[in-house]
Amino acid sequence: MSEAPRPRSAALALAVGLVLADSSIVVLALPDIYRELDTSVTAVTWVLVSFNLVMALAAVPAAHLARRFGPGRCAAVGLGVFAGASLACGISDQLSTLIAARCVQALGGAAAVTAVLELLPATVGSEQRATVIWAGAGATGAALGPALGGILTELVSWQSIFLVQVPVAIVAAAPILSVARHEAATGVLNSELRRTGRPHLLANLALALVSAAIAAALFLLVLLLIEGWRLSPITAALVVTVMPIAALLGRRVGSQVPSTKTRAAAGAILVAGGLGGLALLPKAAIALTIPPQILVGIGLALVLSALTETALAGRAPQAIHGGWTISARHAGVCIGLLALTPIFTHDIAEQRSDAIDAGTAVVLDSHASPLLKIQLAQRIDERLAEQKDKVPTLGPVFEPLPDDSDDRDAVIDLREELQDQLDRGATHAFAPSFGLGALMALLALVPIGLARRVDL
Amino acid sequence: MIDRSDRGKLLFLGSIAVSLVLVLAYLAAGGSDYAPAKSQDPCEPREWRDPEGLQEIAEQFSLSALDGAACKLGVSRETLARALATEEARQRFAEQYGIGDEELAAAIRAGLLRAVGDAEEAGALSPLLGVPLRQVLRSIPLDEAIELINNAESLLDNAQSFIGPAEGLLEQFLP
Repeated sequence: MSEAPRPRSAALALAVGLVLADSSIVVLALPDIYRELDTSVTAVTWVLVSFNLVMALAAVPAAHLARRFGPGRCAAVGLGVFAGASLACGISDQLSTLIAARCVQALGGAAAVTAVLELLPATVGSEQRATVIWAGAGATGAALGPALGGILTELVSWQSIFLVQVPVAIVAAAPILSVARHEAATGVLNSELRRTGRPHLLANLALALVSAAIAAALFLLVLLLIEGWRLSPITAALVVTVMPIAALLGRRVGSQVPSTKTRAAAGAILVAGGLGGLALLPKAAIALTIPPQILVGIGLALVLSALTETALAGRAPQAIHGGWTISARHAGVCIGLLALTPIFTHDIAEQRSDAIDAGTAVVLDSHASPLLKIQLAQRIDERLAEQKDKVPTLGPVFEPLPDDSDDRDAVIDLREELQDQLDRGATHAFAPSFGLGALMALLALVPIGLARRVDL
Repeated sequence: MIDRSDRGKLLFLGSIAVSLVLVLAYLAAGGSDYAPAKSQDPCEPREWRDPEGLQEIAEQFSLSALDGAACKLGVSRETLARALATEEARQRFAEQYGIGDEELAAAIRAGLLRAVGDAEEAGALSPLLGVPLRQVLRSIPLDEAIELINNAESLLDNAQSFIGPAEGLLEQFLP
């Protein structure tokens, strides 16, 4: 127990942020994993779902283990398992092994995150401050995850997302080891293995609903940017950086408002508003995603922190109730992903077909020469066959441009019109899923409104 | 200095206002209409676009024939146009929709007949010539109806395709 409290609290917050970032960090890497491991959209979604599902299932049992065997040891072992599984994820060359490693990663992560909540009060001096740090680190990690993952995917590879986590987990575990050694040396576990109170059902239900909505925002926006609008992962990562930046602003705003109920309600409304904006994008333009992202970012910081604080307020032991919040959040993410994936994959297929028909109509009704139309129709058909089930990139169809100046102008016009139709199709395909996400965030207002003891 | 309880009210009401403004602004900017243009129902009549000269008439004739055939097959005009672009595309189309060559040829003949009617309505073809032209098209054997498409490799090949024979036919019957 020799480390100063500040480095140790920073390490504990880092551990929470690292593990909870993992629920979303691979979002931007999914298209690369999808292509490299030659799988389907639904199957690759399980790289995300498996982690969140195991976190949801393991968080509460892990918290009980932390109470029984000591939070220091549990956090250290959890981070060790998390680091080992991250390494396994990074060297996986098959989807099945990657998903298996993600499950193990979640087991270690669940142990670490819940145990940290038991360690924090002693480090920072108060249970309430510990809760605020724990909830804030989790919200920040979840918001930062996609951007970090996208940058690593673009600059290095999707595998690097996992490999980078190994040293970070070790750094986070280092200050905890002394606590673990102390627990082992003294044999003192937790003398207060008292009965735990009931979890805060309404706060956890609201957490699940709002987490489903936030998963929709992060997951779908990234897919829209990369698969729909064909941005590179690093550009998409830079675009979604707006959310964590806004989340920092949300934390500052939240700190000015003492009522957790007000913060939770305002946060849920902002998340719903942001998702509503994403469902109603009037054009395929990056700039138009920024205002909705700002709302979602501020909203998620407000609502996740407020609901977590509510779920933990006045309840003991903290690890167990923290486990319930982790469980609720990740169950919500799973519900969001599992409910929305079939909807948007169906909508993408439908809109792809509509967009291609609209593009073909543009070609057929154009004033281009009949011979040029034939060539374009042939190339479009070949391109569609190559890019089956995806929103196609049709730029190469128009290359090389014809020598004849009239035909060249006609082709340039056609390319722009066809691209516009594809952008419309891709954007419109995501609208129902974003709308459903907004509805989930609004539904969270029901348990938030019903909760009585929410003001700290 | 804003009171602590007022900050809560401000945050709550502000979040509602900001969310509504964003959603209404995006709606006003056309967010609910930003979708691909819907394909026109091929069974609905499509207005001819100022047919001037034989080539334009032939092109409009082909598009009308496509509409008619697509209507008969229950697919969009655009889907059928892509299907007729190459032999491989036609095979994929046949597999995807379960449409055999005979059914396709029959649909194309129906489409050609509709094109004659559309040409008459557009004033591009004398009604007096409609009757014999229809007879010619009705009597085209199935394999020739398919050949009409296959040789073209697309709808709009002016010289050797769907348009080519269509243009040839028109040339014979135009005044």
